[in-house]
Amino acid sequence: MSAAAGAAPDARAASLTAVVVRLKLSLLGNGLRRSGGRRAAFVTSAVVALLFAVLQLLGLIALRGHAHIASAVVPGAAVLAVGWAVMPLFFPGGDETLDPTRLVMLPLRPRPLVRALLAASLVGVGPLFTVLLLAGCAVAVAHGAAAAAVSAVAVVLALLVCVALARAVAAANIRLLTSRKGRDLAVLSGLVVAVGTQLVNFGMQRLGTAGLGTLDPVAGVLRWVPPASAIGAVDSASRGAWGVAAAQLALSTAAVAALLATWSRTLTRLMTAPDASTLQDDGGAVRERAGRSGAARLLPAGRTGTVMERSLRYIWRDPKTKAAWTTSLAIGLIVPVFNALQGTGSPYFACFATGMLGIQMYNQFGQDTSAFWMVALTISSPRDAYVELRGRALALLLITLPYAVLVTVLTTGLLGRWPELPEVLGLSFALLGAMLAAGAWTSARFPYSIPQEGYKNVAPGQIGLAWISLFGGLIAAALLCSPVIALAVWANVSASGPRWTWLLLPAGAVHGAVLTLAGLRLSAPRTAARLPEILTAVSRS
Amino acid sequence: MSTCAVRVRGLWKRFGQQIAVAGIDLELPAGKFIGLVGPNGAGKTTTLSMVTGLLRPDQGSVEVVGHDVWQDPVAVKARIGVLPEGLRLFERLSGRELLTYSGRLRGLPAPEVDRRATQLLDVLDLAGAQHKLVVDYSTGMRKKIGLAAALLHNPEVLFLDEPFEGVDPVSAQTIRGVLERYTASGATVVFSSHVMELVESLCDWVAVMAAGRIRAHGTLSEVRGEAPTLQQAFLELVGAQGRDAGSDLDWLGGGAR
Repeated sequence: MSAAAGAAPDARAASLTAVVVRLKLSLLGNGLRRSGGRRAAFVTSAVVALLFAVLQLLGLIALRGHAHIASAVVPGAAVLAVGWAVMPLFFPGGDETLDPTRLVMLPLRPRPLVRALLAASLVGVGPLFTVLLLAGCAVAVAHGAAAAAVSAVAVVLALLVCVALARAVAAANIRLLTSRKGRDLAVLSGLVVAVGTQLVNFGMQRLGTAGLGTLDPVAGVLRWVPPASAIGAVDSASRGAWGVAAAQLALSTAAVAALLATWSRTLTRLMTAPDASTLQDDGGAVRERAGRSGAARLLPAGRTGTVMERSLRYIWRDPKTKAAWTTSLAIGLIVPVFNALQGTGSPYFACFATGMLGIQMYNQFGQDTSAFWMVALTISSPRDAYVELRGRALALLLITLPYAVLVTVLTTGLLGRWPELPEVLGLSFALLGAMLAAGAWTSARFPYSIPQEGYKNVAPGQIGLAWISLFGGLIAAALLCSPVIALAVWANVSASGPRWTWLLLPAGAVHGAVLTLAGLRLSAPRTAARLPEILTAVSRS
Repeated sequence: MSTCAVRVRGLWKRFGQQIAVAGIDLELPAGKFIGLVGPNGAGKTTTLSMVTGLLRPDQGSVEVVGHDVWQDPVAVKARIGVLPEGLRLFERLSGRELLTYSGRLRGLPAPEVDRRATQLLDVLDLAGAQHKLVVDYSTGMRKKIGLAAALLHNPEVLFLDEPFEGVDPVSAQTIRGVLERYTASGATVVFSSHVMELVESLCDWVAVMAAGRIRAHGTLSEVRGEAPTLQQAFLELVGAQGRDAGSDLDWLGGGAR
């Protein structure tokens, strides 16, 4: 350090930038060196991402001159920026060079540090992917030499906005991201990907049928919002609106400056304030409760209500349970309703909601993790086990039953096929009952543990068990509700059938209820007899 | 009440090739503060898990206050409190919610659960953190809330697996105070530890375990015998004497470097 101390400040800043960029490159390299599987995964994902970006680039170039192309690429740039903004929230451990708390012991000034970290942020597959997409967006709307020149500036500006946005968001939330709550949040990222994919899928289908023109009003607003405004500037320049183009570029530049200033200020505060890990965190307190709170008082007394209350709290508070539930709720709604919106669906798709939510009954005790010992110690008879399982099933029904009805009514209504409502509801109830029965039984017979850390949902060595539990359970559920399915098929194919379809509603409801009760009755003695075995199975990590 | 709190006969447990517990016969007297001591891997946790019904033994029988753990779980589970080691709690509940949950599962009426939980939280110094999620608790706080959950239904016998492991001195003193008061009323505490000084200062009856067997048991003075401390007696019992490190590592420490 002493040699560098005499050098000009600029040279030092440049050397710091070089050091940090080199650090980023070696971290990337080391990450790859750790294991073959990791390397393969990284190379594959990088190749796929770049291939996708190149195809996008070619596609957008091919679309040059399309009437509404600006309405596609301007929102495209905005979506890209949103992606960059949420990325650090879901992959907090993603980039060690960019974690300012690791640099806190070094004598660094904010300005060179921001410059160095920004440079390091521009290294990697993500920025390369973004540049390719942005270049495609710019080329698609650029016409003429002047617009091409604006494009070059616009792409750089848009990239800088994206990267600076990601950094500013990450720095502002570093306390959150390194805390337990941040790790909880990361577990939900899978859900965002799952639901996002469905939404994008349907959005694309919609655009495919309705045309890009539908996006015109959205693009009209976004062309003034950085970084989309940079792409907007290219479009304006192509149409000869130089003043507008200049304003849009200026807006993007101002955004970069503002984001960098915010980031720099947060960094300074982080470097001078005490480390989060040494601070007493009092954010985890749940709301003050005197006795049983409002909604909880409505639950039944005794073990049933206690079990229901705990199950419902876990749906909200446990990140894994919450992610599973939210995914089920979202997909269970999106698939039937979006298909109905496009007129391609069938009311029977509404059973999807029941199916997705019924799965939550499977592996009940695995969801408890090794905390199951607290349950095991209070079950001393098949009766206790029955009440325990029934409480869990009731908690699930409390959400699933109204939700299934809602989705079914919504789907049928959107399709305008009201006469089919009773039979679809009946089928839904039968399916739900069958899944609760099969779920309770496989919970007792084939429990497996769910690791609490990371994204895995099955512990190593129990994958076979999980398959038996889930797929065996699903097949069993299908078989159990086959009488009602057969009845529905008969009602729809036979000549006198349609007159009797309303019968499917009571038949399905009764069938489902009987299956649930029978399933719980059969599972209870198995659970009570196998407590130590279940505990061992769900305690594997 | 019977004078024998726990009676274990011919208890065996094998995990694959490894024999964790190799035939234990033991009678633990009621109303005492009992320590189960032994080095790591001696089989203490396995034994306590089998005694409390959380792990099925390969062979042998366990009776707690005269009731067979596997034949008569109704009588046994109502009479024991357990604080296991290495198992989670329902950590997404707050401390108070965990106690309420645990007490109601055991069939206690809600107002009684509330009253007892408030007192336990006070005594164990957790009142300030009662609305925080257990996942955000420190090790000492977790042990204390686990102890509170184990005590809530006023069991006759309390089994604690390493209750002082990783616990700060202040929390340890609190736990100790509660346990001493509890045994003074005639209840039995069985706890495992590998810290001899702790066992010596707390217990009036000890069982020494090593390699899956009981090496000695009886009152503290019986087990200690001629040895000056329990630590010495223990080292003699498990045959760790004479492995003086003096002759090796003679380069270590001051003098010529």
